[in-house]
Amino acid sequence: MTQTISRRHFMQAAAFAGTAGLSGVFPGMSFAQDGRKLTVRFNRDFDSLDPGFYVGGHPNNDVNWCCMPSLVHYGFRDGQATWIPSPFVESVVARDSTHIDFRLKQGLMWSNGFGELTTDDVAFSYERMTTSEWKSDYVAFDRVDIMDRYSGTIVLNQPFAPFMNTTLASGTGIILSRKATESVGGKFTTEAPATCGPYVYAWTQGQHVKLTRNPEWTGDAPYFDSIDALIVTEDDSAALAFEAGELDCTQISSEALARYKEKPPADSALTVAGALQYMWLGMNTEHPKLKDLRVRRAIQSAVDQASIIQGAYAGTAEASYGVVSPGLVGKRDSAGYSHDPGMARSLIEEAGASGLELTLRTLNNQERILAATIIQANLAEIGINVTVMPLDAGPFWEMGQESKGDTWKDLEIWIMRFGSGPDPYEPFQWFIRDQVGIWNWERWSSDEFEELFKMGIEEVDSNERAKIYTRMQEIMEETGAYVWLTHEPEVFIHRSDISAKFAPSGEMQLPYFSRT
Amino acid sequence: MLIYIVKRIGLAVLIILLAVLALFVMLHSIPGDPVSIALGPRATPEIQAAYAAKMNLDKPLFTQFLIFLGNVLTGDLGTDVFSNRSVAKTLLGQLPYTISLAVASLGWAVALGIPMGCISATKPNGWLDRITGLVSIGTIAVPSFLVSIWAILVFAIHLNIFPVIGAGDQGDLADMALHLVLPSFAVGLGWVGYLARMVRASMLEVMGENYIRSARAFGLTTQTIIYRYALRVAILPTITLIGVGFGGLLSGTVFAEIIFARPGIGKVIYDMVLNRNFPVVQGAVMMTVALYAVVTLASDIIVSILDPRVRESL
Repeated sequence: MTQTISRRHFMQAAAFAGTAGLSGVFPGMSFAQDGRKLTVRFNRDFDSLDPGFYVGGHPNNDVNWCCMPSLVHYGFRDGQATWIPSPFVESVVARDSTHIDFRLKQGLMWSNGFGELTTDDVAFSYERMTTSEWKSDYVAFDRVDIMDRYSGTIVLNQPFAPFMNTTLASGTGIILSRKATESVGGKFTTEAPATCGPYVYAWTQGQHVKLTRNPEWTGDAPYFDSIDALIVTEDDSAALAFEAGELDCTQISSEALARYKEKPPADSALTVAGALQYMWLGMNTEHPKLKDLRVRRAIQSAVDQASIIQGAYAGTAEASYGVVSPGLVGKRDSAGYSHDPGMARSLIEEAGASGLELTLRTLNNQERILAATIIQANLAEIGINVTVMPLDAGPFWEMGQESKGDTWKDLEIWIMRFGSGPDPYEPFQWFIRDQVGIWNWERWSSDEFEELFKMGIEEVDSNERAKIYTRMQEIMEETGAYVWLTHEPEVFIHRSDISAKFAPSGEMQLPYFSRT
Repeated sequence: MLIYIVKRIGLAVLIILLAVLALFVMLHSIPGDPVSIALGPRATPEIQAAYAAKMNLDKPLFTQFLIFLGNVLTGDLGTDVFSNRSVAKTLLGQLPYTISLAVASLGWAVALGIPMGCISATKPNGWLDRITGLVSIGTIAVPSFLVSIWAILVFAIHLNIFPVIGAGDQGDLADMALHLVLPSFAVGLGWVGYLARMVRASMLEVMGENYIRSARAFGLTTQTIIYRYALRVAILPTITLIGVGFGGLLSGTVFAEIIFARPGIGKVIYDMVLNRNFPVVQGAVMMTVALYAVVTLASDIIVSILDPRVRESL
C-alpha cells in the first residue's frame, strides 16, 4: 500500500480520481514500448458493442472506449465529473445551448478497409441512435450539420444541459462506421464490423477479452501494449486473484473494502471511481398510516444514518443528503433534518401514532438487511414497531408499480437504491409527476418541482443548476417521504504503481491506464 | 441386449422431455417480471417491449413452450436475447471446459478412491482401514466451496504455485492443465471418500462369496484375488455411481466454475438464471439433461455387459 487512506481521504478520493485525464490524451504517447501488459477484471461477460441495441454499462463501455471512437470522454474538472474532449478530436466546443461544434483528427482509420473516420460517420451514428433502443438518450438531438470531412455541428432541438455528460460521454455516444454498419445489415452484437481506436479486441466467451495495440492506430498511443480482461463474476474470487497477483486491477465489494482498509495487500492502492448510487428509506405518502406529515418527519429524525453507514457498510459508504451523488453539481452537504429521537418521539405523540405497526420491505442482501435491522431498532425507540420483509429482486422491483399489481397500495416503507449517470438531471426524472406509480413510489408531486425539473434541463450555467437541484432535493425532503441513507462507492483496488482512470459510472477507461 | 438398449434409450428420451417441461414451468413460476429484472429500472417501455418480444414473453406460456420444443427438435436451442448469439454455439464453446473439469476431478478421485477402498476391504477394521475410513468421511464431510477457498489461500496466495482464476491460455495445454489443478482438487476431493466407501462395502460383500473362497483354496495371492476377481464384480455399483456422478458434474461444477472463474455450463446456467436469460437457461439445462441421460445410459450399458443379470431388470 503506498499510503494509508483515512476515511475522509478515502471519500475525497472520488473527486480526484482521473484528474490527469483533463486533456483526453492517452498517457503512453511519447514512450510506448514492448512488454507492457495489464490484467484487469470484468465482472461479467460483455454482450454487445452496438450502442444502439446493447444493455450498456460495464463491460461493454470499457471495451468500446478502447476500440471505438467518441467525441468526448469522462474526466474530472474542479473535483466534479464532467466531459473532456476525446483523443479522436481536435476540438469539441459547445457554441451555445443548442450547438456543439467538433473537429475530428485526420487519418484515423476504420479496420477491415472501411476507410477514414469522418463527419459522416458521426452524423450516421447519432441519427441512428434516434431510432434505437436507447433513443431516450437522444430526445434533444436534432441533427448533425456537416461542414467538411472532419468538421461538423451537433444541433439540439432544445437546450439540454445534460447532453454532453449523459449522452455523448456515455456509452451511447460511441461512433460507428456507416459503411461497416450498413454492410452487416445495420446492427451487430459482439463482432463489430469495424473498429477504430488504440486497441483491437479478441473475445473468448465467458473467459476473457484480450485487447492489443491496433497497428492501424495513428493517434496518441496508450501506455499498455496489451490488456487482458478476465471475466470473474464473483467479487471474492476477484479479490483473492488480486492477492495472488493474477489481477492488476479489480472492482471490490464493500466487504472487501472494509477488510483492505484495515489490512491492505502489499503494493496496492484503492481508488474510488464514483459513488453514483443513492439509497434512501422511502415512505408511501398516500398510505393511511403515513399520511400525516408529522409521522414521516418523526421517522426522518429517528433513523440514525451514521449507525447504518458503520453497521451495514463498515464505514465504507458516504452519507447521503439527497439524490445527487458526490462529484455532481447540486450535491448537498447536509440534510434539513438530523438524528433526534427526542423530537421524533414528540412528533409521534403529537400525531397520536404511538404503537404504529409498519412493514419495511427491502432487497434480500446482507447490507440492506443490516440497514433494515438498524432502522427497525431506531423506530422501536420512538414507539414504532417495524416488521422487516426481505424480498428477492423480482417482487421487490415491481412492488410500487401500478402496472404490476396491487402491492403498491400496501406499500408502507422500504429501502431503495437507484443508480445515476454523471449528471444531476438523471435522478430527478424518476420523481416527477408522471412517475407516480412507476418509479415515484412515494406518490407525491409538486408544481414547483415540475417547473424546476424543466429549468434544470435547459440551464447550462453550473451555479444556476446547483441552485435548481439543491432546491429540488429540499422539496423532496420536505415531503417527509425520504430518509437519505448512503452513496455506495464504486471502489477498485489496483497495483500501487498503476495510474488508473475510471468513468464516474464505474467503468474502466483502460486506454488512460499507465504505470508510474 | 439390443432390446435392453432400445428400452434404455426410450427411457432417456422420456426423462429429457419431462425435465425440460419441469424446467420450463419452474422458470416461469419465479416471482417477478423477467423483463424488469433483466433490464433494470432505467429501461424505457420501448426497450422492455422489444426485449419481451425477443424472448417470446408476449406470447402465451404454452405457445412459448411449443416454440422452444419445436426449435429443439430442429437442433435450434434458440438465441441469446442479449448478444443474439446462437445458444447452441455458446454452450458448445463452454462444454469442453466442463467436461475436462469433470474428467479431471473424477479421474483423480477414481485413481485414489478405488485403491483406498480395496486396501480398506483387505483387512477390515485394521488400522489402515480405520485411517482410510477417517480420511474418506473427512473428505465427504468438508464442503467443496471450503476446499476451494482453502486451496486458493494455501496453494495460490501463500505458496503461489497454482493459478486461481481462468482456464489458461487456449492452445497451451500445460497452462490449461495447471489451471485445472485447484478446481479439480476441490471438486474431486469429496468423490475420493464416496468411491472409497462404496468400493470397500462392495468388496467386503464380494470377498465373502464362494468363488473367492475357492480362489483362496487354489492358493492365489490376495492381490490377484482382489484385483483380478473381486474388484471386477465389486466395481459394478461404482461404475453406476461414477456415471451418475459424471452426469451430475456437468452442471454441478458450478461452484468451482464461479470461485475459480472458469468457463463452463454450470456457470452459464448460474449467470443466465440471474439475468433471466431464459433461452440460454433452457438450452443449457436441455443440453446437460441430455448429456446426463447419455452418460448414465453408457454406464448402464457397460454394467449390463459386465453383469448380464442387469438386462433383465428393465
